[in-house]
Amino acid sequence: MNLDLPALLAQTALLLLMAPLLSGLIKNWKAKLQNRRGPRIWQPYFDVVKFLRKDMVISEHASWIFLVTPYVVFVTALSAGLMVPMITAHAPMSLFGGALALVGLLALGRFFLALGGLDPASAFGGMGSSREMTLSAIAEPAMMLAIFTVAIAAGSTNLSQIVLASHGPHWKFLDPSHALAFAAMFIVLLAETGRIPVDNPATHLELTMIHEAMLLEYSGRYLALIEWGASIKQLVLMSLLANIFFPVGLAADATPAAFGLGLLFLVAKLVLLAGAVVLVETTNAKLRLFRVPDLLSVAFMLGTLALVSTFLF
Amino acid sequence: MNLLPSLVSIFDELTQRFGAQIEHAHAPQPNELYLHAKRELAGALCSTFYKKYDGRLAGVFAEDARAEHDVFFVYYLYALDSKHAFVLVRVPIPAEQPELLSLTNAVHAANWQEREIQDLFGIKLVGHPNPRRVVLHDDWPEIYPLRKDFDLRTELPPFTGVRHKFREVEGEGVFQVPVGPVHAGIIEPGHFLFSVAGEPVLYLQLRLFYVHKGTEKLFESLPIPHCLRLAESISGDSSFAHATAFCHAVERAASVEAPPRARALRTLCLELERLYNHVADIGAICTDVAFVTANMHAMRLKERVLRVNEQLTGNRLLRGMACLGGVRFDFDADQLRVLAQLVNEFEKEFTELVELIRSNSGTRDRLETTGVLKPEVARNLGIVGIAGRASGFDHDLRRDFPHDFYNEVQFTVPVFTEGDVQRRMVVRREELFQSFAIIRQVLGKLPSGSIRTAVDEVPPDRVALGYVEGWRGEIFHWIHTAPGNRLARCKIKDPSLQNWPALSEAILGNIIPDFPVVNKSFNFSYSGTDR
Repeated sequence: MNLDLPALLAQTALLLLMAPLLSGLIKNWKAKLQNRRGPRIWQPYFDVVKFLRKDMVISEHASWIFLVTPYVVFVTALSAGLMVPMITAHAPMSLFGGALALVGLLALGRFFLALGGLDPASAFGGMGSSREMTLSAIAEPAMMLAIFTVAIAAGSTNLSQIVLASHGPHWKFLDPSHALAFAAMFIVLLAETGRIPVDNPATHLELTMIHEAMLLEYSGRYLALIEWGASIKQLVLMSLLANIFFPVGLAADATPAAFGLGLLFLVAKLVLLAGAVVLVETTNAKLRLFRVPDLLSVAFMLGTLALVSTFLF
Repeated sequence: MNLLPSLVSIFDELTQRFGAQIEHAHAPQPNELYLHAKRELAGALCSTFYKKYDGRLAGVFAEDARAEHDVFFVYYLYALDSKHAFVLVRVPIPAEQPELLSLTNAVHAANWQEREIQDLFGIKLVGHPNPRRVVLHDDWPEIYPLRKDFDLRTELPPFTGVRHKFREVEGEGVFQVPVGPVHAGIIEPGHFLFSVAGEPVLYLQLRLFYVHKGTEKLFESLPIPHCLRLAESISGDSSFAHATAFCHAVERAASVEAPPRARALRTLCLELERLYNHVADIGAICTDVAFVTANMHAMRLKERVLRVNEQLTGNRLLRGMACLGGVRFDFDADQLRVLAQLVNEFEKEFTELVELIRSNSGTRDRLETTGVLKPEVARNLGIVGIAGRASGFDHDLRRDFPHDFYNEVQFTVPVFTEGDVQRRMVVRREELFQSFAIIRQVLGKLPSGSIRTAVDEVPPDRVALGYVEGWRGEIFHWIHTAPGNRLARCKIKDPSLQNWPALSEAILGNIIPDFPVVNKSFNFSYSGTDR
């Protein structure tokens, strides 16, 4: 594990500040496509501040698990984010295992969130946890396969190495294995961030919820942490997708100009990706719950094909 | 008696068969026959109507007549759709032994209504499969609010009774998921207890009637003209339909008829009410499967209708338009032009919305085969209105018992047999297209003349049935007048009262995340159920 303190601080700030904006942008664009004016794109900041100020109502049946979950979710998302190259190819933190550690961290956050949903013993939380675990059992392997595809090409599971390897003359997007892996990862992104057609982040219908059902018992500061953590996780996954498969514009040297350009490219890629997510969300209805595994199996198959095709081409 | 020809033969056959057991018969209207029978005859008459005359029990209600006759009367309202006639069977229940032989085992549609009589009149049900309380919850004190000796201003003692015990479903991995009575949306209270094994629903128990408002009792306390405003507030989304049903009842009791122009304007308003409710429901069904874009268009269309409603009647929900003997406001040429323009533009945009929904295969996949209410189940439960028509029950008061201007216009009644969410949406869609045609025809032949017949004091001791096919289904108002231009009894029958149990049946075998869309496809009224 190597640490680069200024880079670490800078990326932490970037993750914390940019994540709500990305959520806000998606919400706003979604509204626009639905002929609504929609909330301001910086509304999620106000939401976080509002939640941080509010009192918390905690079920008397809740145990310590319920209380530590928000912190675990927040910290795992943030530390996963520190392992993803965002502006430069060098991520400020790398743990043993690289991409595997990243998937593991996200899984840890999810595991605690599911426990947090179960802990207060409310009916909706349990349903949400059960659905989340069912779906992640397929989504996670699909993500691993997609990452392995690029890892094999790079000869390393270290995300910085992957980006560096694909950064340069050898990178070609039309490489079938990359295209397949990207498709798999995009489906996983929709599932992991609770988007239509897998989950509906904007619904008030508890019975249909997956991610939101686990949060129903949370309020105040804890809710702020979880919501913020969820938006960070979304930013992490989208940056991962953007930089592994399109490693253009990453800062090559440590000059302010290069950093500025890197940031610009990152924002541009995220905006494009957000646009794709918004398009999928507005043009699709939510799948029947029992059809969601089919969609995720497609992601899994795409990942498998991607992996196989790295050996063929 | 001045009876419909189709009813004369039925009446003759009944008098031949039951003879003196039918003590008295009268027909205040050609399509409304009253049979006063012995209490024991209720079951036999019921099976006769069902088996021989293609009839159905559209309502059961009671009346406290102990002051005059020393009995309670229980009325069975049969609708003989194919004969275009209603038959009301009245049986006496002795006051000293208030017991009623239940028909629920034979006709499930009577279930809640019989229990309502038990709760509100204290008439004990005999032979009912589930005689637990329904309207007044288990913790209520022993009171019978619709008895005449119960004062409206009675202060109730504290509720000390035991809480309702739900049935328990047991088994490995079976969980109970309680939802409500307070919900996340702005809707009225209702408790849904799901018993689930994983996601599939094994059993759904409904508990409604959380806000009993005593509306029927209130009707007895007001002069008839004031009752109209009360009728408007029975179910907010059907305010014009309920008010018109009440007007029909009073007009029939007073033997007056609304002038042709008033009947035409009523028809227009009823169709406008159908328009805004159906389009909102179609949008809401799409929202519940997360196809929000369609809902946004639907909301926009609904808003247009509401604004036209306001331009025409001064109220977005058509309140204040209904009036005894006719309607309150006439439409001038400008207003009629606005309405004609609304229909043209609405139809065009609605066609586009239909195409948007139709082209979204994901939405269709969610709606088809979801929440199936089989025709035989619907028939057994007596499900009426759009829910009934989506499950193969071909009926519509507008066609079978034409009221207002409906006998002057041509339209078809869409009926499907699949009974799933998709068909309940398609019934709405097709009815909207029929509504456009109806409104155009009415506008084309709008009679001139007055818009109101004066309704003076209504004579006492008249009985009359008012009925309207609201957007949700058939609405009945049955009144019995009292001296002083007041009512001795007003029974309100909203289609939801009878339709709610359909939800428990339709959800079986579905998974719990599909419940909201199944519920929305029925869109029952809480307020109309718990008056």
